[in-house]
Amino acid sequence: MNVQKLGLVFFPAFDWAISPTHPEREERLLYTRDQIVEEGLLDMPAIREYKPKIAKIQDIERVHVGVPDIASLITNAHLVSAGGAIAAADAVMKKEVQRAFALVRPPGHHAMRIVHGTRGFCTINMEAIMIEYLRKSYGIGKVAIVDTDVHHGDGTQDIFYHDPNTLFISFHQDGRTLYPGTGFTNEMGSPNARGTTLNIPLPPGTTDRGLHEVLDHLIMPILGDFKPDIIINSAGQDNHYSDPLANMAITAQGYARLADTLKADIAVLEGGYSIEDALPYVNVGIVLAMAGMDYSKVIEPNIADCPSQSSSVTHYIKDVIKERQDMWGRKEKLQREAIMKHGEFWQTERSIYYDDEGINEQQKERVRICPHCSGYVIIETKARSSLHYKTAYIGMIPQKACPACLKAAYDVVHTAKKQGSYQHYMVQNKQEDRLEKL
Amino acid sequence: MGFIPGKRGDNMFLGLDVGGTFTDGVVVADEKIVSMVKTPTTKENLLQCILTVVDKMVEDTGSKAFERIALSTTIVTNAIVEDNIDQVGLCIMPGPGMNLNDILPVAPYILSGYIDHRGREMAQPNKEEVLSACRHFSSCDVFVVSGKFAVRNPCFESAVTDWIQEQVSPMHISTGGKVSGSLNFLRRTNSAYYNGAVWRHFNAFATAVEEALKMRGIYSPVFVLKADGGTLPLSVARNYPVEAIFTGPAASTIGIMGMNDDAAVSGISLDIGGTTTDIALWQKGRPLLAKEGAAVDGHVTGVQGFRLKSVGIGGDSLVFWENHVLKVGPMRHGPAMAAGGPKPTVTDAMVAAGFIDFGDRVLAVKAMKLLALQGQSPEEMASQVVDKAVNGICQAIADLLDEQAAEPLYHVEEIIYETKFVLENIIGVGGGAAGLVPLVAKKLGISYTLPENGRVANAFGAAVARSTLDITLRADTAEGYYTVAELGIKNRLPRGKFSLQNAYELAEKHLAELAQRNGIFIGETQIIQSEEFNMVRGFTTVGKIMTCRLQVKPGVLQYGEEELY
Repeated sequence: MNVQKLGLVFFPAFDWAISPTHPEREERLLYTRDQIVEEGLLDMPAIREYKPKIAKIQDIERVHVGVPDIASLITNAHLVSAGGAIAAADAVMKKEVQRAFALVRPPGHHAMRIVHGTRGFCTINMEAIMIEYLRKSYGIGKVAIVDTDVHHGDGTQDIFYHDPNTLFISFHQDGRTLYPGTGFTNEMGSPNARGTTLNIPLPPGTTDRGLHEVLDHLIMPILGDFKPDIIINSAGQDNHYSDPLANMAITAQGYARLADTLKADIAVLEGGYSIEDALPYVNVGIVLAMAGMDYSKVIEPNIADCPSQSSSVTHYIKDVIKERQDMWGRKEKLQREAIMKHGEFWQTERSIYYDDEGINEQQKERVRICPHCSGYVIIETKARSSLHYKTAYIGMIPQKACPACLKAAYDVVHTAKKQGSYQHYMVQNKQEDRLEKL
Repeated sequence: MGFIPGKRGDNMFLGLDVGGTFTDGVVVADEKIVSMVKTPTTKENLLQCILTVVDKMVEDTGSKAFERIALSTTIVTNAIVEDNIDQVGLCIMPGPGMNLNDILPVAPYILSGYIDHRGREMAQPNKEEVLSACRHFSSCDVFVVSGKFAVRNPCFESAVTDWIQEQVSPMHISTGGKVSGSLNFLRRTNSAYYNGAVWRHFNAFATAVEEALKMRGIYSPVFVLKADGGTLPLSVARNYPVEAIFTGPAASTIGIMGMNDDAAVSGISLDIGGTTTDIALWQKGRPLLAKEGAAVDGHVTGVQGFRLKSVGIGGDSLVFWENHVLKVGPMRHGPAMAAGGPKPTVTDAMVAAGFIDFGDRVLAVKAMKLLALQGQSPEEMASQVVDKAVNGICQAIADLLDEQAAEPLYHVEEIIYETKFVLENIIGVGGGAAGLVPLVAKKLGISYTLPENGRVANAFGAAVARSTLDITLRADTAEGYYTVAELGIKNRLPRGKFSLQNAYELAEKHLAELAQRNGIFIGETQIIQSEEFNMVRGFTTVGKIMTCRLQVKPGVLQYGEEELY
């Protein structure tokens, strides 16, 4: 059978909005739909359009623990968007297409493991759900995620922070100048996974030139070194020069060339809020590039508005590339040092803000630095908003957990339950593919 | 005005379907078929078989006063397949985007000028370039002009058309936006290209038909069937010949609608002919439209049609062994052996197995004997062939249902609450239906209907098909304009609040005007697409974008409904 180049799952969710005037509103992909249809892209023999599936709660709970449960925190749109990513994955894995693009909303890369609500427009993490589905259904091992959204993919980072088999690379506008204020170079993964979280903060004003320096000299060599079974692109489009929520200077050509160079197996849309001036052109560029077609004529009508890159930005980027290359070269050493330093557990404590509903979460996290597996995780969470106070004590068991970690996770949660200082006690058992309420 | 029973004498509607092998004609009076004619199609000169049928019907009915003569012909399809088409000066304004150069049927001349997705003029067209294009295409009598997003703003297509007209006054200029009002620059351009390329050929045919009828003293208005099952007056069709492709399956689909008395069943129809079976999907008594237009010679177009699937299995399909595998179709080597044909066919198997009574049973059994393996009786062979044919049709039905289920949907609610297509009934028409449809229905475990005269559903459909038109109105209240692509208009919106309901009313008004201009009776209309979006800039709602596509509903002529002639 003839394998088509690109599977396109287009799901603009024309009846879903966070609120009527929110950037995540019905209109977001309207002009993109117009451009894609008008170009005739869906008629191209290299491109096959797919309909999204509907994700199951089990697919979501393989990644997330919702407090008190995930079903009450999401809408049907989230099931379809996650199902869109799953449909893209299936199309690629069944070899119906060479690669796939889930051009879907709502987005997800700010959604972390524990979910109390919506943050950064995201409630559940589409890429993470898709990746765990790929592992469960097709036995995929090593995965690389390249997050090209202008905002740091803090949710995806959180989900895979302890997983040495998932390389998470994110370039984004520097967290000192943009939401969510994270994604610095010192966030490198917990000791067992040190180095497989790789942040590349870029200065405001970065253009195609700077971006492609980073891609050619940093990201591509690292991907070559890591040798993933599959490459996922978190394809945010808000690095565009016209994006109203950020300050970068990437063009449709820059994005198309990025897609052409990266050759991701599956791309999933994230942000991008210049809905008229950027998205129609950026998406056409990405679709053409992923389909192996000529994208050289995809140029924004107002391209004259795109600023050029200052020399200080150019220098800054060169330095970032150098520093990150060094880190990657020393990552085994860094890992050994981190394991020695931390003993049996690595722990962290932080507060997480859910901007959508004004929820403040305090989270304590502890991961066992296990010599046999990636280690069980314990998360204590307390979330407060004007309406609610929710707490939970959660154990997480990785898919390939060793017997000791498997048993210990249950023991720890049972012990906590006896003390009874939390409202909910749960164990996310990835070995058994279920979330248990204790 | 309107329909006056007996106005031209006998209230008779003549319908004619020119098929690949045979041409069928019927005369319908008071919903009854009063004359039925079948003659071989004269491929090299379609006019000949058309006139043969008309002459026989005049003889049959003793009348020349038909209310209407409606033709479903392969004239356009044949012209394209046989490359009997004109060289066309194809001028496009693609703006930024996909590179179309190697995708269009012929090399285009690229002009400046770009309209964006909102219909805003981002770069002006250049008259000098258009004059160069005219020189480049100096040998062309027909031009085609197509611009990206011209359906959002027709001004550039109009301007370029005027410049070409002024410079070289070609015989005809087709414009993309008028040929198809839907988004899809590629499809509109292809539609307009083929429209231009067959324009001269179709017009010569139209003139020949009109003159031949006049010579016979027949002054009935002539209509042409479209792929969407509607008809157009020949005078209007002269400017939109591309609409006349693939009308055969549409004719029989409308015929089924008429023969089925509007029974609101859901399921499928099977038109089983000599070489193919056409499958259509029906919901509550109406055939579903295809989401996209038909493809011509490998090029997608915007020509709207029904959601159909053809499978190469029919009554005359050749049955043979290939590498020890039994094959049915898709080729035809003449009629069934039972009817004096040279080779075993599906019909022979049906006769030999005792499912139908047709031709010479002895010859049918002989056909099966020729096919039978050692130790296999002709009856066993026959039932194996029938199974094979039935399975082939069932597989095609399953594929069509899968395709329908896989149609992308863009709203959450549509996906979450999607209702599965329910097969309740099969309506069978065409020469091969009587034998095969009961077997297909049995295999699928559903009921079936075989309308009387189902053999001529195609010609019947042509006879009774309503005239249709459709327009696409798009209003952008932030810009303060609305456009109707098919009419090439861009007008200011009325002052004050403008709702989707206002958009429907405005579309109704324009559709009525167009119908009047084209001499078409406007009965029931239907909205075939509508959407409405709030536009928010900053955190303020600045306007709405509304689109509604309105159509004179295709279907069967009702009593009291007739053209304004």
